[in-house]
Amino acid sequence: MSMTTKETNPMAVAGPALVLLGLAVFPAVAPHFGLDYYTGFVMRMLIVMLIATSLNYLMGYGGMVALGHAGFVGVGAYALVAMTEAGVTNAWALWGGAMLAAAVAALLIGAVSLRTKGVYFIMITLAFAQMLYYLAVSLRVYGGDDGYNLYSRPVLGFGLDAADDATLYWVVLAVCAACFLFFHRSVGSRFGQALVGIRDNESRMMALGYPVFLLKLQAFVIAAAVAGLGGALMVTQNSFISPSSMHWSQSAVLIVIVVLGGLGHRWGGVIGAAVWVSLEETLRMSTEYWHWPLGALLITIILFAPEGLGALFHRSPAGKGEGRGGIFYLLRRSA
Amino acid sequence: MDSIFIIEQLINGIGYGLMLFLLAAGLTLVFGVMDTMNLAHGTLFMFGAYIAATVHEASHSFLAAVLCGVLVTMLIGALLEVTLMRRLYKRNHLNQVVATFGVILLADDFVKWMWGASPIMASTPAALAGPVQLLPDLPYPSYRLLILVAGVVAALALYVVVNHTRLGMLVRAGASDRPMAELMGVRVQSVFTLVFVIGAALAGVAGALMGPLTSVQIGMGEGILIPALVVIVIGGIGSVRGSFVAAMLVGVVDTAGRAFVPPLLREVMAPALAADVGPALAGIAMYVLMAVVLCFKPGGLFPARG
Amino acid sequence: MTLFSTRGLVKQFGSLRATDDVSIEVAPNEVHALIGPNGAGKSTLVNLISGMLPADGGSIVLDGVDLTGMPPHKRVRAGLSRCFQVTNLFKKATVLSNLMLAVQSHRGSSFLPLGRRDGEAELIERAVALAGRVGLGSELDRIAGSLPHGAQRQLDVALALAANPKLLLLDEPMAGMGPDESARMVELIQLLRRDMAILLIEHDMDAVFRLADRISVLVYGKVLASGNAEQIKSHPEVQAVYLGSEVEA
Repeated sequence: MSMTTKETNPMAVAGPALVLLGLAVFPAVAPHFGLDYYTGFVMRMLIVMLIATSLNYLMGYGGMVALGHAGFVGVGAYALVAMTEAGVTNAWALWGGAMLAAAVAALLIGAVSLRTKGVYFIMITLAFAQMLYYLAVSLRVYGGDDGYNLYSRPVLGFGLDAADDATLYWVVLAVCAACFLFFHRSVGSRFGQALVGIRDNESRMMALGYPVFLLKLQAFVIAAAVAGLGGALMVTQNSFISPSSMHWSQSAVLIVIVVLGGLGHRWGGVIGAAVWVSLEETLRMSTEYWHWPLGALLITIILFAPEGLGALFHRSPAGKGEGRGGIFYLLRRSA
Repeated sequence: MDSIFIIEQLINGIGYGLMLFLLAAGLTLVFGVMDTMNLAHGTLFMFGAYIAATVHEASHSFLAAVLCGVLVTMLIGALLEVTLMRRLYKRNHLNQVVATFGVILLADDFVKWMWGASPIMASTPAALAGPVQLLPDLPYPSYRLLILVAGVVAALALYVVVNHTRLGMLVRAGASDRPMAELMGVRVQSVFTLVFVIGAALAGVAGALMGPLTSVQIGMGEGILIPALVVIVIGGIGSVRGSFVAAMLVGVVDTAGRAFVPPLLREVMAPALAADVGPALAGIAMYVLMAVVLCFKPGGLFPARG
Repeated sequence: MTLFSTRGLVKQFGSLRATDDVSIEVAPNEVHALIGPNGAGKSTLVNLISGMLPADGGSIVLDGVDLTGMPPHKRVRAGLSRCFQVTNLFKKATVLSNLMLAVQSHRGSSFLPLGRRDGEAELIERAVALAGRVGLGSELDRIAGSLPHGAQRQLDVALALAANPKLLLLDEPMAGMGPDESARMVELIQLLRRDMAILLIEHDMDAVFRLADRISVLVYGKVLASGNAEQIKSHPEVQAVYLGSEVEA
């Protein structure tokens, strides 16, 4: 549970740094290889990584399996749309406002939902997300079912041109990196340690005098705020949002991404989103039947590496005991 | 809005509720006995609908269609249990959710390959095409009436099995006290398989019967899975009785929401606004019901386990 | 002088009255033992006092503060700390992490999402001191779940001590222990009573008679008798329903 283990493996620091460097130079290099299209694709992937990481924080460290995370993504996206309609053009103000809107929604929804546990919690978060979905459908001013088109990208300021994909890409990368760092640091903080304690043994935490409900609510709100930011970034990139991105199946896909990448693994959301979004993209382009390989992958992962892809690289930092699953486990078992 | 319309909609709601119950019963049994979340339950419903529609088209016998639909769905259920589900019983719910989500993806592509991507026609049997005069002023489609009767019969059969057989005793024991059931159950594994196949059969019945009323298409399973999950949660997971009560509630609330809310809103607000808000409120009705129930009873109406 | 008291505590489960008009008192630095046959309602009473279950009637007061209706974590803050009948630890974490988590709860805010908790010297210091107090000073880096049963119970007590409680609620601390381990726990409780009052629920009669200043006997949710060891041993009704041969031995 404790995060005291020092990073002795240089790969643990060098790996992410290399990936970050690669991501940073990508938009500069891509045009030389005719890969311009992929700047937008990688940007979308980054945003999904951000949203998945926020869900991993909630599920993996907080032990709260929420099947309504896409609802908060939608709240952030629609908040940005509403503020744009009201005349706000500054991207930072819009993104901040989107986070705030998602946080307020999460505060209200969490205050009710966190009274329940387990499957009941899964279902009540689903219920609230569906309510948000139908609310979006009924908002005719923002396009209702058909969705809403943003006519111009928000203004970044600081001499940055949001209309340029590469510029926006770098800003998104910086925002995502900052959020990853926040989540990463947060796990070792007082709050993170209390959260993991609640995940592992809620009754004991209560008996130790922790305000368990409020701590869970704070985690719920933080995760939702970042999901809302993800939604806002998504609209900024696409200039489009529709209620379908709030549908429950989107929330299910987010859960799938987190489990695929490694629940409670530091890079779980990142790895899961990278694998899922890339596979979806390539499969969709190459075959009409692009669902079944994803289905087969999920079943395989659950049967043979239930701790997710992240655990194949190294041990879960959340320290969920002996790693049953993962490649080391498979090797040991077959040896 | 006259009283005949209201009565008709209430009967529709009960019919929908009964179909929901057939699905929810399987879900809640699998949950109660095996402690397993099975998202692919809607997939079994879809197979029931597709197979019944195909057999009906080929044989022109509705009875044969329903029988085939149910039997093949049971076979698919057995196959699913033996190859995958039994490996998941000891896993946590999250693993079960993700793996069975994988099954949905596999099955949807299989159906697309087998029957094509567009919806297929499922016709009502010719003999039941006309209406029945329920009340002097209330003609009611005879096919819907058949569904009502079939739903009641299936629910009664399930009631007898759960309350008056040895299997049912194991099921009830399993839902309230699993270690005890494991002690009692000599062949736990075969009881599990049997329970899963019974759940598949109920889903198959619902699919075969619902096919002619809805469109038979990919995604129909997921469309009905969510209301069925809402039902088992409101009823209290693991409780068949709770599922029945909740299914009736959800069936009536959902149908009533769609039928009554838009016209009522038109009376009190501007038509344009009513046209926006009406469908949204109707869609939300069952979720509001669930949220309210869980707010006051976090374990559902009939919590099977403490 | 009374530190802690319950007045007319009631809990109803359906038709069963699990706790029936229970009034008990604990004086400062007193060890008050609660005994009773299985099903007498001891666990229910513990849960009522610690706030895990809401009471249907009656009141709970600690040091002049009314705890009735307070959520569990606030009771801990008010000075009422508990141990569990079934050892309740963070089994996959080290002894030190367990204790740091316990200490953190009572030192500063737990809502800060930044800053490295494990670098806080004061937390470590206090956690180490707690370990020493219950005799686990040399086991700091052991994984809690891998400790022997007796040591796990000692850790359980240490977690409860982090709150600096005025009243410590010990729910069968000797359960499942061998004679050596029991003796060590008795010693520990003797040590702790210098600093706090203790409400002890226990089956081990030897331990109860050695430790308790006062004993209350709970039968069918009611307090049947209350008094010192001699009074309880000689109480005819208590002998009839509960102690019987054990006392003779």
